[in-house]
Amino acid sequence: MIAVALGVDVGSTTCKAVAVDGKGRVVARRVEHTDPRIEQQVERVIRELRDETGAHGAPVGATGYGRKRVPAARALTEITCHARGAFAALGRAGVLVDVGGQDTKVIRIGPAGEVVDFSMNDKCAAGTGRFLEVILGRLRVPFDQVASQVARAERSVPVSSTCTVFAESEVISLVAGGEPLEGILKGLHQALASRVAALARGAPGEVFMSGGVALNPAMVAALREALGRPVQVVEEPQLVGAHGAALSVL
Amino acid sequence: MILRRAQYELAGRVGGPFLASLDGWKRTLRARGRTPRETPFGPPLESLRKLKEIMTAHYFQARYADGAVPVAWVTSGFPVEVLRPFGFHAVYPENHAAMCGVQRLVPGLSDAVEALGYSRDLCSYARTDLGSVVTGQTPVGRLPRPDLLACCTNICQTVLYWYRALADHFQVPLVLVDTPYVYGEAKPHHIAYVRAQLEELVRVAERISGRRADPEALAAVARKAKEGTDLWADCLATGKSRPAPWTGIDGFFHMAPIVALRGTDTCNDYYRMLRDELRDRAQRGIGGLREERHRLLWDNLPIWFAVREVATLLATRGFNFVCTSYTNAWAEAGSRIDPEDLIGSAADSYTHIILNQDLPNRLGILRRLSREYGVDGAVLHSDRSCKPYSIGQVDLKERLAAETGIRVLLLEADHSDPRAWSREQADNRLTAFMESFE
Amino acid sequence: MTRKEYIAQQRDRHGRKSIAVLPIHYPKEVLTALDILAVELWGPPGAPRGEGAGRIQAYVCSVVRNALAFLSSGGADAVDGVLFPHTCDSIQGLATLATDFGGWGKKSFTFLHPKGPPRESSRVYLEAELRSLVRELEPFAGRSLEPDRLAAALRLHEEIDECRAALLDARPRLAVADKELYALLRRGEWLWPADHLAELREARARWPAGPVRPGVPVLVSGYVPEPPALLEVLDAAGAYVGADDYAAVGRRVVRATNLAGDPWQALLARYWAAPPCSTRSADHGERIRHLGALLDRSGARGVILHVLKFCEPELFDVPVLRRAFAERGVPVLYLEGELEAGLSGQVVTRVEAFVEMISAGRAA
Repeated sequence: MIAVALGVDVGSTTCKAVAVDGKGRVVARRVEHTDPRIEQQVERVIRELRDETGAHGAPVGATGYGRKRVPAARALTEITCHARGAFAALGRAGVLVDVGGQDTKVIRIGPAGEVVDFSMNDKCAAGTGRFLEVILGRLRVPFDQVASQVARAERSVPVSSTCTVFAESEVISLVAGGEPLEGILKGLHQALASRVAALARGAPGEVFMSGGVALNPAMVAALREALGRPVQVVEEPQLVGAHGAALSVL
Repeated sequence: MILRRAQYELAGRVGGPFLASLDGWKRTLRARGRTPRETPFGPPLESLRKLKEIMTAHYFQARYADGAVPVAWVTSGFPVEVLRPFGFHAVYPENHAAMCGVQRLVPGLSDAVEALGYSRDLCSYARTDLGSVVTGQTPVGRLPRPDLLACCTNICQTVLYWYRALADHFQVPLVLVDTPYVYGEAKPHHIAYVRAQLEELVRVAERISGRRADPEALAAVARKAKEGTDLWADCLATGKSRPAPWTGIDGFFHMAPIVALRGTDTCNDYYRMLRDELRDRAQRGIGGLREERHRLLWDNLPIWFAVREVATLLATRGFNFVCTSYTNAWAEAGSRIDPEDLIGSAADSYTHIILNQDLPNRLGILRRLSREYGVDGAVLHSDRSCKPYSIGQVDLKERLAAETGIRVLLLEADHSDPRAWSREQADNRLTAFMESFE
Repeated sequence: MTRKEYIAQQRDRHGRKSIAVLPIHYPKEVLTALDILAVELWGPPGAPRGEGAGRIQAYVCSVVRNALAFLSSGGADAVDGVLFPHTCDSIQGLATLATDFGGWGKKSFTFLHPKGPPRESSRVYLEAELRSLVRELEPFAGRSLEPDRLAAALRLHEEIDECRAALLDARPRLAVADKELYALLRRGEWLWPADHLAELREARARWPAGPVRPGVPVLVSGYVPEPPALLEVLDAAGAYVGADDYAAVGRRVVRATNLAGDPWQALLARYWAAPPCSTRSADHGERIRHLGALLDRSGARGVILHVLKFCEPELFDVPVLRRAFAERGVPVLYLEGELEAGLSGQVVTRVEAFVEMISAGRAA
């Protein structure tokens, strides 16, 4: 299990790292909440992966918000790396929708794994994982219970506010007004899904999903519904960027 | 063509009114068996039924217009008096967009054009209209294809960008009446420019309609437009009574004919009827509110998707909008029309509408309305997607309050996109505003 | 020398009055002929500060918000007057807000240029509006506009445009960074034209055309190349501005020369000959043709639409431009700025991702 390349995706919410073998397959991985002292965290994570896989001389590819603060052989944007990682996992062209903690990306991947086009929602939290995180936190709903609660909802309670802060107040009023929690949760998921879908709507082709939010089945289902198209979750969705970064130095 | 024309006429005279009466029956049936709700509003206006009939007929007839008569899509501030004598059926995308706003259709329509790359920060009327054109969705069945697009920049310059997008889509001519903004006094060469553009318009109208300009016909329409404007002004003036015989929302809805049917007998007959009803109510002390405790002025466009909500919130505490700068604009737009010189007077009149004149003029209008209608307070709607109406409101608020002593609230919203509105925040602001009067 | 010092020097040494000019299009030649220094106000960048900051709502563009704050805080006190062109609804509103409701107490002028395609009525009107503006400027300048002074000013501005065009066209062969080139070109926004011409000539000599420089050329269309950091990011990522359609720069380079004998007619011809701009409501076809020619000449592999948030004239053109570029198979990066003083990490990522994308051998 000798790894020959390492990839690090230093996001503003989570820090992800992988080690890949000569065929580009992921053989070790790490996912942690990003520490404000990024440099030290990345150094430690890389060291741990090197120890685990014996890849002491392997080059590091970096991506993500903090990519320039990491000593790496190559630093490429998350766009390029996510495209590479997704293409490596799926082997075909399509539209990758990556919903992360603080941004959402839609990347059109071409038949050779190249980036054809991309768009990002990075100014407004309401179109990102943060939207759900803030409100679920406020409602004290643990992440592992969300999907089952949403599945139980008889109907969806619409949440119309376009701003995370206003949506929070709106949700509090809805709860106070006696609306069922499951319905509100479903409405929240639909609200986020519709914003994400708006970014992706024009892009033709198969839709794939990555990012931490893809680990939430309710969110995947909501996105499927909003797009009216099938959505396939990339295996190990949080690691797609780091994987692509490792491939870039392979 | 003749058959189409016959259909068009029939639709207007028979089909439309029939549909409207059907709708009226539906409402009556629905209302029967329901216990009357506690309402802060006074008895509804009888004229409302006629208004619905007129507007239903107008849109129903519109479905048969293309192919029957020349069709023009026109901006609200456009000197339509110059087009009507050529037999054009005039469609008002803004009026249509307002309807979409009331019916909360805007987000869906806007999404469709946002997917094409139009920014959500653009005027919500434009997004609504382009969205409707692109998707074919409309609450009025069908809008006729235009043969001509006619825009006048007196209300804003955005209409030109919007109508150019329409021209690209429909591949029809766009005629522009560009009105330079009035800082202080309009310069003679500015009016001459507008006049020259109106003369160009006449030639375009002749070409598309196949009719020659007839001074008699122009004068006749001009007379009707002037009369309609004066009648509308009479209706608005009844708001000076205590209590005002109707509410602010009534005004926003009843202004549809002066905008969309200006220069027609239908419009004038309607306002005569409305005026008489309002005067009668004023005389008998019947108010738009059961109990009018405070009188307010509204500035800027209405919040179409929340008109009733806002009015009800205020009415429950006895607050009524007795005058608005928006409805008042239509009492002024056609007031300088002179049938003896339609082109020249239209150039003057349409250059001097409220949105084409400087802020001191705007403040003067707000001050005058406040005084004439005896208001205690004012709400300035800071309309996110209407910059010409909203820029300057921060200062207008301070100055109006200082000069008149009334309380003024600046309320953030949008005229037709509910996504730019937070109901909780608005309720809070309005409630706090009302509490400040106690 | 700071801009303020320069303005003072122009006044003290040459007796020149100065006028702050809001974007975008105005008859600079007339100001030059009347010996008035034009100082363009493209911002300033950053968040609006001071008393004037809150007077315009946050949903209005930064040009106007920042300009009001700047004027109100005395930032423009070094100049003697302000000129507001009829660029858009927001600048139109700013002109009355600042002049009538406080924020600018000195002389105020307007240039209400016509909108829409050129028609007989708009041609006649433009001349009348220019003559009217001149009548107001003459007493301010303390001199009248003599035909030979106007003719000389026209020749001077023609020469300046010829130099600017030469530099922009030769860009792919100039071994100079975008940041430096733009710093030079943007000095024309406030230098006395003759001084600007001298700098341009000197730069042409200093930067001879060489082999095609390394890096991927992009076409940038937008409002103003602000913040300069954007140009640095492009450079670091391996790209450069091969073709310019910035309102502040390329859209005001008039290429037509030797226009008419009569200076007034030449002045009018120059106005109509300027590259298409959304604020003069240029026809879409014209704009697309113009941008297509820029693409062809520069070999640009991608387009950056660097628009200003809330700028209605530009934003309405965006879908049309996007469609046109998509038809040509040219990738587009859409950047919406707010005249921020620095670039956010997100914007840097977008620009870098775009350059990575177009560098990977994707055909234009």
